[in-house]
Amino acid sequence: MKVTIKEWNAVAAWRWDMPDDDVCGICRNPYDSTCSKCKYPGDDCPLLLGECNHSFHMHCIFSWLRQEAAQEKCPMCRQPFKSKNQEAGATEAGTPATNADTSPM
Amino acid sequence: MFASKRLGKSCPQLQDKLPPGITLVKADDFREWLMDIQVMDENPIYKGETYRLKFIFSQSYPIEAPEVVFVRNDMRPIPIHPHIYSNGIICLDLLDRQGWSPVHNVESVCVSLQSMLTSNTKNERPPGDEAFVRSNTQRPRDINFVFHDNSV
Repeated sequence: MKVTIKEWNAVAAWRWDMPDDDVCGICRNPYDSTCSKCKYPGDDCPLLLGECNHSFHMHCIFSWLRQEAAQEKCPMCRQPFKSKNQEAGATEAGTPATNADTSPM
Repeated sequence: MFASKRLGKSCPQLQDKLPPGITLVKADDFREWLMDIQVMDENPIYKGETYRLKFIFSQSYPIEAPEVVFVRNDMRPIPIHPHIYSNGIICLDLLDRQGWSPVHNVESVCVSLQSMLTSNTKNERPPGDEAFVRSNTQRPRDINFVFHDNSV
């Protein structure tokens, strides 16, 4: 018997590769959700992992780092906050264009 | 928007599972909250007393620290402590611009204040309390505290 597929609908789910129950320490929203200002999760509201291994929504950590009082330190451990994604991204072909957006400086 | 969203999130959680000695008194809006704290151990300076804290949140909380002061009423005195002025103003680095971190929240601030009281053995006000209370017209966030005492 020959079956002809007339129509199909694909459904996909995604999540950040992060522990299930974890929330962003700044906005307290789940990583898979958005920061307090965004509407849509995912690439529009990405996460930023620090060299100290603390991560936040990129918008959340940027709002903090923009403060003079932050002294460019991680809110969790107070070590200088440097993006780890930057190094990782640089070695991936085809993605260097996004790096500029993820630098906390 | 930042502030209201996060405060709204912590509000129902707070009711359920606050640490011992910390109670939510009033949180009608996202601008001002009242909390009661008690010291849970046998410290004679604070035993049996309950103290009331007023939190004032700016629009950019938790990026900016909340303003936190003790407030007095018939039942709630201002705790005696070398870093707490008799008008309720608290000198604590984590409430200051330089010491604040956006991962703090109402609960963690209350716990820090509990522990600041618990560990204190000096039944005294800060030096210059009277003069400061008489002359101070600044809001706590505008005062430049100098943090020098790491013992309490």
